[in-house]
Formats: sequence, C-alpha cells, structure tokens
Amino acid sequence: MAKRSFPFKRLGRDAVFTVIFCIGCALLITAVIGSMRDFVPNLIVSFCIGGTAFLAIDGVRLFVWDEHETPNLFALLAIILVSVPVSHFGGNLLASRILGFDTPGLTAYFRGQINGMMLFTLLVTCVAVLFFANRERLVRAEAAAAQERARALQAQLQLLQAQIEPHMLFNTLANLQGMIAIDPDGAQKMLDQLIQYLRATLNSSRVERTTLAQEFALLEAYLGLMSVRMGARLAYTLDLPDLLRKASIPPMLLQPLVENAIIHGLEPKIDGGHITVSAAQDGAKLVLCVADTGLGLDAPSAKSGTHIGVANTRERLLALFGKEASFNLGPNAPQGALARLTLPATLP
Amino acid sequence: MTIRALIAEDEPILAATLAKSLQRLWPDLDIVAMSPNGVDMVEKTLALKPEVLFVDIKMPGKTGLEAVEELTDSWDDARPFPQIVFVTAYDDYAVDAFEHAAADYVLKPINDARLGKTIERLKKRLAAQPDKDLSQLLGQMRALLPAAPAVERLAVIRAAVGNQVRMIPIADVVYFEATDKYVNVVTKDGEALIRVSLKELLPQLDDKLFWQIHRGTIVNASCVLSSTRDDMGKYSLNLRGRPEKLRVSPLYAHLFRQM
Repeated sequence: MAKRSFPFKRLGRDAVFTVIFCIGCALLITAVIGSMRDFVPNLIVSFCIGGTAFLAIDGVRLFVWDEHETPNLFALLAIILVSVPVSHFGGNLLASRILGFDTPGLTAYFRGQINGMMLFTLLVTCVAVLFFANRERLVRAEAAAAQERARALQAQLQLLQAQIEPHMLFNTLANLQGMIAIDPDGAQKMLDQLIQYLRATLNSSRVERTTLAQEFALLEAYLGLMSVRMGARLAYTLDLPDLLRKASIPPMLLQPLVENAIIHGLEPKIDGGHITVSAAQDGAKLVLCVADTGLGLDAPSAKSGTHIGVANTRERLLALFGKEASFNLGPNAPQGALARLTLPATLP
Repeated sequence: MTIRALIAEDEPILAATLAKSLQRLWPDLDIVAMSPNGVDMVEKTLALKPEVLFVDIKMPGKTGLEAVEELTDSWDDARPFPQIVFVTAYDDYAVDAFEHAAADYVLKPINDARLGKTIERLKKRLAAQPDKDLSQLLGQMRALLPAAPAVERLAVIRAAVGNQVRMIPIADVVYFEATDKYVNVVTKDGEALIRVSLKELLPQLDDKLFWQIHRGTIVNASCVLSSTRDDMGKYSLNLRGRPEKLRVSPLYAHLFRQM
C-alpha cells in the first residue's frame, strides 16, 4: 500500500451524513415509542451508537482502503458484523454515562434482552453503508463524466486552434499581396476564396452540424487557396454525389484531414501531387475518403505532427457516434496516404 | 561587378513577387535563377555561384536550413560563400531563432521598407571582406539548426543482417553514416544497416561521446585518433580501428581545434 495521509476531510464529509442518519433514527424511535419527551435521550443514544459505529466502520475503511477505492465486500461485511455489537455496547455505555442511567451490563446481551435494539442498529448500519457505497459510485460516475466533458472540450479547443493556422493565413496574405500587382483578377478570386474559407471555419465552431455540401464548399475554398500557392504542384478532385449533398455531418471533420494531406504529404514533396476527397453511401453508413499521392505515412514529415490531428478526429468521432463511427489512416495505392471515415448517414 | 542573386522559394507567386520587389528596390541586382525546392537550390547555387541567396525556410526536398548546411559542406573556397537572407512566414521558424543567431531574415508578407534595410545591409557586407563572413554564417547556422528534443538514450543498436538481428553495443560503434534511406553502422569488425534517419538517431545518442561532424556522419569521439587539416583548410579524421578517413564539415570543424 502506498504511503498516504489519512483522509480526514473525507471522514468529516461522511460524518455530516452520519449526523443526519442519527437524527433520523432518533426521530423514528421516538415516533414508535410515541412520547416526545424521550426525543432528546433517544437522540443522544442514537448519536453515541451511530457515532461509534461510524468511526469504527468508516475509520477502518478509510484506513485500509483508499478514499476512492471500492472495499472488498466480505472484508467490509466482517467489519460491520464486528463493529455493530461493539458500537452498540460502547455507545450505550457512553449514553448512559451522559444521561445518568444505569449502565446495562454485558450479561444483558447474553440474555438476549437487547436483541431487538441490536438488530435495529445492524439494520441502520447496513442501510448507512449501502448509502455511502452508492454515493461513492455516484461521485465516481460524476468524476468520470466530468473528465469526459473536459476531454471533449479539449478536443473542441484543439480543433478551433487548428482551424485557422497563422502560418496558412500569413502565407495566403503574402500570395495575395503579390497577386494584386501581377494578376488583379486572380487576386480578386483568391480574396473571395479566403473570405469563404474564413467564414466557414469561424462558423463551424458555432454550429454542431453542417451539410456535406457546405463542408465540400469549404474544402473547395481551402484547396483553391492552396493551389494558387502551390501552383502546378497541387491538383485536386472533389467528388460529392448529388444525393448526399444534404447529408448532415459534424463541421470540420474533413478539413483537418485535407490539411494533413497537404502539409505532410504534398507540400514536402518536390513534385507535389493530387488530392481526391470523396463521399459515398454504403447502406446506412456514410463513407468519406481523403486520398493523396504525397510522401505517404512512412515519410519523416508524417511522423511529426499528424498524430494530434488523427487523435483529435478519433476523439471527436468517438464522442459523437461511439462505436457507430470509425476512422482509418493507411497507405494509398500506389503512393501517398488514405484517410477513411465511416459514420452513420443522416439524410433529411 | 554585378551582384547576382538566386531566389529559392516553392510558392511561385511569392517567388515572382520577391523578384519584382528586388528589381524595383535594387535595379542593379541580377536575378540569375529561381529554385522551387531545396535540392534544386543546392544544384543551381553550386553551378552559378551567385553572391546572394534568398532562401525560403519551408521548401520541399530540403528545407532552406538543410540546403544552406549542404552548401557549406560542398562549397569550394575559390569564391566567397554567398550572402544568405532567410525568408520566412509567420511561424515557419521562430523569429527569435534568427534574432539569436543574428542571421538576416525577412518575414512574409514582405514589406518594402524591411526589404530595403536588408538590401542596404547586403551591399555593405558585399563590399567588406568576405572571408570573415563564412565563419560568421557557420556560427549562425549552428544556432539555427533545430536542436532535437532529448529522448531516451540507446544502449544497443539492433541491426538486421540477413535474416537475423545483430545487437551492437553502442560503445562498439565507431561511426554512423547516412546512406540513401538507411544509416550504416560501422564498428571495428564490420558494418550493418539500420532503417532510421540520422536525424532520428542523433537525439538518442550521448552527445558527449557521439559528435555530428557532417550532415551525414556521427562519430564516436573516443574512436577518433587525430584530425588533420589540409591546404584548403578542410578537416578530416583518422580513426582507431578503421582505415578510412572521415570528412568534417566546416560547420563542425570547431570541434577539432586544439584545446
């Protein structure tokens, strides 16, 4: 067992619930007996027995197991079975001292006179332990859910950062600056594409779903910008069947993959290459592919960096569709890389 | 003398724009070639020997830094080494690195005022004694070449020889030599190929013991018998246990001057 300090904070939090339990027991007993005058003595007895039982059981549990660990069921039962008679006897003794009653002798236990009260204590203790165990589970589930939310948020943030890369923006502006003097019409067209690209990327952080037609329009703008920059080194084909134009998908799912294909596959390749983005329907699934003829996944440039994009895409798909979606990144024949997304088709 | 320049830039519009700006701001400059990638830049520079190079950092084939590094290796000293101006986009390379190395650079998008300053500086340097500049450039290059992040040290090299894998203790390696796609691991008793790049290998080696002495060579310092300097000022190493001599790039020659 690792060295750790005893979790007094936790014990304190549990004690609050124990106090509530004890008050509840005192109220119950008072109601059964039917005389309000006995409430205060009942409360004191209840506190003494409940408090001792709590200190014995929770104390031992927190001492033996970690605060967040689930205790072994049999060991816990054994602790309860030992603690209940001990705390019943000890608690009664303490309460008698406080209230000035006669101390019930040990012999009373053996004669079975107090069996009813003992049984009640056992019952309440079991209920309390069950309550704590359940609360524990709830707390743990809550923590897991919070962690999941944090991960999703982080993925979202990374996505946002990836969307408008300063490098891409400054290089595009540098090209635009040059085009204005050389080819004003081309510059105008490039500016239109830049506006469309910026609008679509900024919008995508606000909406939860987009259509394939919109996503492909964004890709068209992005690839248009990149092909001005890369000149003859970049060729592309966008293949979106009319039937799938209105299919709904999460925004910015394809764009990072196309960006990866360019940054890691085509930009570092002297001759450049071709990118094909296609959408197809396969039964109830939508299959989206980004294929390039770049350097491929074995290239040194592919080793640095792509993993974040790939991990990010996986995280998003998992968060949005669970096992319904899949993402595959492999080699493209005869060269380059092929990213393949499969997700449930949602057509209007 | 007409000053001749080469522009290495992979994005055609940016190359044309830089050429135009230079023609406007420095009409006497003769732009003799444009290179769309690092490999082409090295070839054309060695063939044409221009006085000034404008080098984009991010290029296919070889990055601007790699291309300049290769030039420092292959340059014959008959002519002064070209003046280098690095051209970089926002975050291609930390601007701090250029400041730190005191290398000349211009940021994309290029503005005329900044380019004008660079031109003034170039003219001044071209008029001055050129010899001093190569050592200055070498210092700049050493500062600019990206330091690899520290990773776990290798203790044993696993090299495939036929259908078995040979385990070579790292201390037995005399030197590593980059070939086309592989690295050749050379020991006293033989050679073996491993499928990693020199760049990947370097951070996994103890830098006190294994020294990079060339773009394509890492030597075990304890296996170096002596270094000799030829008439051209180039260094080569004699080894313990190996007959061949290893060439030292000017970039790393400072490692073999006397203490």
